Amino acid sequence: MDNINVLIIEDTPEQSDALSKVLLANKYNIVGVARNYTDALTLFYQNPVDIIVIDVFLDGKPDGITFAETINIVPNASKPFVFLTSSQDRQIFERAKLTKPFSFLMKPFNELEILYALEMAVEKFYEQTNVFLSEDQDTVISNDYMFIKKKNALKKVSLQDILYIEVEDRYCNIITEKEKFVILISLTKISTLLNKEKFIRTHRNYIVNADKIEEIILADNLIILKGNYKINLSDSYKDFIKKMNILS
Amino acid sequence: MNLKLKYYFFCFFLIAPFFLFSQSEKTNLFEKKILQQKLIEFKGELNFIKSQSYYLKKDWDSTLIYSMKQLSISNNRKLADYCHYFRGESFFNKKLYKEAKKEFFLVSDSFELLPFKNFTLGASFLELKEFDNALYYFKLAEKQYVKSNNTVGLANAYNGIGTTYIFLKQFEKAENYLLKTLRINQETQNNDKICISYMNLANLYYEQYKDNLAIFYFKKSYELSKKANNITTKQTASKNMAVVEENRGNFKEALTYRKESEQWKDSLNNQNKIWAVADFEKKYAVAQKQKQITVLKIESKLKDTQRNGLFYSVLALLLLLIGGVYVYAQKVKSSKIILTQKNKLDELNATKDQLFSIVSHDLRSSVNALKTSNAKLTTSLETKNYNELDQLLHQNSAIANGAYSLLDNLLHWALLQTKQLYFHKDSVHLYSIVQQIEYNYKPLLLDKGITFENAVSKNSFIFVDLDSLKIVLRNLLDNAIKFSDENGEIKIYTTETNTNFCQLVIQDNGLGMSQDTINELLEDNELLAKKSNSEIIGTGLGLQLCKQMIKKNRGTLAIESELNKGTKMILSFPKTEQNG
Repeated sequence: MDNINVLIIEDTPEQSDALSKVLLANKYNIVGVARNYTDALTLFYQNPVDIIVIDVFLDGKPDGITFAETINIVPNASKPFVFLTSSQDRQIFERAKLTKPFSFLMKPFNELEILYALEMAVEKFYEQTNVFLSEDQDTVISNDYMFIKKKNALKKVSLQDILYIEVEDRYCNIITEKEKFVILISLTKISTLLNKEKFIRTHRNYIVNADKIEEIILADNLIILKGNYKINLSDSYKDFIKKMNILS
Repeated sequence: MNLKLKYYFFCFFLIAPFFLFSQSEKTNLFEKKILQQKLIEFKGELNFIKSQSYYLKKDWDSTLIYSMKQLSISNNRKLADYCHYFRGESFFNKKLYKEAKKEFFLVSDSFELLPFKNFTLGASFLELKEFDNALYYFKLAEKQYVKSNNTVGLANAYNGIGTTYIFLKQFEKAENYLLKTLRINQETQNNDKICISYMNLANLYYEQYKDNLAIFYFKKSYELSKKANNITTKQTASKNMAVVEENRGNFKEALTYRKESEQWKDSLNNQNKIWAVADFEKKYAVAQKQKQITVLKIESKLKDTQRNGLFYSVLALLLLLIGGVYVYAQKVKSSKIILTQKNKLDELNATKDQLFSIVSHDLRSSVNALKTSNAKLTTSLETKNYNELDQLLHQNSAIANGAYSLLDNLLHWALLQTKQLYFHKDSVHLYSIVQQIEYNYKPLLLDKGITFENAVSKNSFIFVDLDSLKIVLRNLLDNAIKFSDENGEIKIYTTETNTNFCQLVIQDNGLGMSQDTINELLEDNELLAKKSNSEIIGTGLGLQLCKQMIKKNRGTLAIESELNKGTKMILSFPKTEQNG
């Protein structure tokens, strides 16, 4: 599990420092703090960013919104973001609202509020709302990552790293090459959210990352994965083999 | 002899139309009565009515026109009979005997005035010198008159028959009928008719060369004609006398009679002239009347336009009046509204002023407290009394917090009042929000030793504006802490309801309040609750703000409280709709 990379766009050093402190305390990773619009763009494109915290007003101008508008235009470049603002000025909000998905946080905020806002931003951005706070799910799945809520903070796991997923009731065991952990999500939900080409159902309880398959032993109904994990293969899910390019 | 004969014919020519004339002139009562009955019967037939009235007025041309019209539009047998009868009579009187004959032939046998028709038809034949036919129809008329007991008609019929016999040279029969006529006429004492009868008799005898008898009757008729009204009768009688005297060779007397005859003729002409003049006068009068009518018409038209003008002007005035009344009513109404609005505004202004004074007072005391506290801090620092330092700093932060929340409320109040507050409803996780609010009050709770419990269901998602919810919760929690004793308990929890609303309860076991205070708090527009405990009760702004925010979020607020036992603030908000 990796920490979430946060880009902070905030012109006031005290505020950015306080924010950094809170985020670092909750195991977030700060990739940079931008003081203005140009810095923000540079930092955004140079670093892997998961979430952006944007102050609406940079040097008295609503450049924060301009930044959000800029990254919104580029397809697939956009990331979840949270606006910070100290005024509830309607006009500013009407403009900011157009950068969807729109979430904001009023200053001053406490630790819990910023964490909540970040979670909300991720949920809204990946259109999987009411996940982190409900009692039956704690994971949002994007194209590249799983965002998992651990205690107060978010963590992420690259889908690339996952070897296989073992389903048990409402829980899923995620096994990567390095670690193994449990997330709270139903099988139906996870199978709809994962790319079916890449994550293949091999058994009632198993979803396997196709990239990690080393060997399929049909006689024993076994799949050998990287790291020598042996996974059961059941007859009813064998069809996927036909689609694979088999080297003879 | 030749000369004589000529005179006879002359006389007969005079006689024939003569007796017929008298017949038509005195249209007998029976005929008139029947016609009037018909008038009622055929009320709807305008043309018939017209032709009938013209017939009675002896305006033959008009009668012809309207009877023709009536014939062309109606197929009624009875009506047709009357019309043909009218036409026949009219033609006869206009001396168009052949036409008259044709019309009479068209009259059916069921016609009610059959004897009249037959008689006139006979007369027409007589005029056309078809004596046999004349005799036939006269006799037919005679029979029918006898049947209907019409003596006047009978006399006429006898007269006709007698005259016809004269022409047929059957003098005995002629004499017989003419005497009968004379008798009837004498009975009815109609001088004109008696006179004519005498004349006819005289003519009869003259024709038979019974000159003495003839002269006797001529004379008798002449004597009688002096009493008669009809000038034509008088003229004919005197003329007859003149012819007779001339034939006898008494030229002198003949001359006198002739003169008399001429005189009557002149007077007849005069009369005709007078009639013509009268007619002309009548026409003139009619024209005059017509003129008057036109003038009157124009006048009435003028009056009409005047009346219309008056009517419209009255209407316009009325409209103006109504409009005026309406405008006045509107004005009164609007002024009333303005007055109430003014009163309300005054009231609001007063409350606002009050609010200002309280807020500024509170702020002033807060800042003052900070000032004194800071002074103490400085002295503490100087004396290096670090224990006191910590306590003072805590106190300072508490004061700052209080002042901040007051200002925050004030700001939101202002935003709400000016409608500048951004309001965006979203699905909100209630538990997290309560947790976030609690986070800010942790030092305060700890300070007062209050135990706080967040028992909100973790599955509660409500659909509200996050920031206004936070303001509400902050204020209510602030109040709960403010009104709680040391070591009190505050609990926030949700209760399960099956509706679309989520109920959130903020419960404390603090001071509580009376029902009156609750009512005051919940009352609308009561900006500032009366201060019964001025030490700890604030501006009332917080709760007012809460009420408005809750309302804006389509939620409700209820308060349950008991003095010295605690208060329950019960909020309800719409749940997020679960769609999939």
